[in-house]
Amino acid sequence: MKRRLLALVACGMLAACARGGSPASAPAASPGTGRVGYVRMDDLVKKHPLFGQLAQYDANIQALSLTALVPRPLTVGPQLKAEEARLQAQLEAAAKRTDALLAAKGKSYQDRENEAIAAALRGAGASGGPSVAAIQAQMEGTARTQVAGAGAQAQRDLDTYRKQLEAQDGAQITAAQHTLEARADRTYRAKVDELNAKESALSLMLANADAAQRLSLRTRLSSLALDDTQRADANNELQALDRKESDAVAALHNQDAQMLATLMTQLRAGVQKDMNAQVAQIRQRSVQRYRERGDQLRTEFAPANGTLIATSPSGATANPNLPPALRQRIVQLHADYTQAFQADAKQTIADFNKTRSDLMARYALLTGTDEAAARSAQLEIQSLQKRRQDLYEQMVAQINREVKTIAQERGVSTVVSTVAPAGGVDLTGDAMKDIESLHE
Amino acid sequence: MKTNRIAALVGLALILSSTPAVLADDTTEIGYVDQAALSALPQFTAARAQLDSYGANLQKQYIARARNASQAEQQKLSAEFQQQIADKQRQVLGPIFSRAQIAIASVASSKNLSIVVDKQIIIVGGTDITQAVKDLLTGVGDPVPPVNTPPPSTVGYVDQTQIDAIPAIKAAATDFQKFKADQDQQAAAKFRSAKTQADRDAIMTAYQKALTDKQNQTLKPLVDKTEAAMASVAQKRGLTLVVDRGNVIYGGTDITADVTSALK
Repeated sequence: MKRRLLALVACGMLAACARGGSPASAPAASPGTGRVGYVRMDDLVKKHPLFGQLAQYDANIQALSLTALVPRPLTVGPQLKAEEARLQAQLEAAAKRTDALLAAKGKSYQDRENEAIAAALRGAGASGGPSVAAIQAQMEGTARTQVAGAGAQAQRDLDTYRKQLEAQDGAQITAAQHTLEARADRTYRAKVDELNAKESALSLMLANADAAQRLSLRTRLSSLALDDTQRADANNELQALDRKESDAVAALHNQDAQMLATLMTQLRAGVQKDMNAQVAQIRQRSVQRYRERGDQLRTEFAPANGTLIATSPSGATANPNLPPALRQRIVQLHADYTQAFQADAKQTIADFNKTRSDLMARYALLTGTDEAAARSAQLEIQSLQKRRQDLYEQMVAQINREVKTIAQERGVSTVVSTVAPAGGVDLTGDAMKDIESLHE
Repeated sequence: MKTNRIAALVGLALILSSTPAVLADDTTEIGYVDQAALSALPQFTAARAQLDSYGANLQKQYIARARNASQAEQQKLSAEFQQQIADKQRQVLGPIFSRAQIAIASVASSKNLSIVVDKQIIIVGGTDITQAVKDLLTGVGDPVPPVNTPPPSTVGYVDQTQIDAIPAIKAAATDFQKFKADQDQQAAAKFRSAKTQADRDAIMTAYQKALTDKQNQTLKPLVDKTEAAMASVAQKRGLTLVVDRGNVIYGGTDITADVTSALK
């Protein structure tokens, strides 16, 4: 009876304790005594044996994000900007050249028309004046002089164009090399990550498979009742367990290293092959363009079919007092020169448009290369992020398992991942020790 | 013999009375919800699909307008489009979130929970109310808001965004971001001219070291100070835990103002 009474008293006191009393007298669970615990997950993750692998993922993601080829959504990189400015300058120079050429041609045609008309007038005014054939010969002489000047300009233009093409080729080859190397590098890195992930998974799997045995051995070792022989045996078993795991991981690692070496050789050969193909393609395209441009200029400036007839848009008008035949001759000369000038000017403008198209195509190619590389890198980043997240979740799951065991041992029924130490039981230290010893 | 047993019992009771929280059933006040499970409910998936479609359409418009825009114009455009997306999110998700919030509050109240947090920060224990909330959200009619406010909780929380807005912390963060942006540019330029993997690794190592050093110099002292302030406030207010506001779904004790004052 007395015993029951005392038990009730004790229970009453326990219940009072359980309610926690007033907030003032018992504000919170004291560290190490409450049933709510916490861990600082970030600190635990940093101590996990696979943190190195996680950090490697972060570094790879960072490195990819930093490469200039990488994806900065819709922002134009400084090099691309510079290239764009260079192309714009070339375009403006081409426009100026075209204007100058047109003005020179206009003046040339006008001069020749004036000379032809003057000659026609002289021929009509004096019986000993030049014949139509002489007028034509004089016109052709003038035209040849003009053509020689225009031809020199054409040669200069062609040389400039060749230099532009060479510079563009150089830039394209460098960009192609960069892209191919970056692609090979990403492929290699992706394989490294994949193999590392497999090694980590094996390591985790082995650690989990041996966890019960390891725990049992550790528990045995923590017993004071063990004699030296028993302790040595348990230690040996623990070491054998560690050795077995590390041997299995090392074997896989060696296999992976061989695979990576082979892959590296293949990738280098692939880059070289692709590079050779791209260089050949780029050069072939440039040679073709250069030839086309040369042909155009030759057609433009060479008097292929006899006389280069020119006229002035504001050429002389035929005096109505002149004899009808002479007046008709002058009108005809004016019409011929006008037509010839217009055809010539049309060709010059077409050439300018061709130059402009070439430059725009070059710019589009540059941008396209950049965007394609950016898309590829972006996909690689996403893939890395996914693998990083998977690894992180595996690590957290393992940490959680360790924390659960510790919580059970210490009678803590709720554990939360927290941001700052408070009155609950801090299990971080214990969990850290267990996690550190996982892969010793 | 009896005397010994009685003495032991009384002794035990005395020991326990000096550590009052030993058996305090603190755990029953903490509930949790698996937000991933809730977000798989049809109303959330439909809303997400609607937002995805809206976002994709907006992105096309953005690309078209930003392609030939300057850096400054792109930033302006980006802000404009982000605002549009945020408005749409509020419009589409606002009512659904509000309904979910009421359902969570209703379940928490019926189970006398003082705080409901996200499942991902619970490692052991707690009361899982996910299914009950799902039942309310998928049931007929709207969930009814609880009459009572949540009971006082021994779990505190801080709103990190408010802490980050404290001038000294904001200045340090801005300083670090500027430093990082410079380092990003420098490293990116070096990457361009790097020829071998070893070169790239060296650039990366130097880049990371520079960031870590700067972080330790500018941010870490403030982080340590903030953590100490949180711990101090938590102790004064008798809290067992402090978690981030982002993980709290319902209830809890907000100590942000106290922590902010302590830091100023």
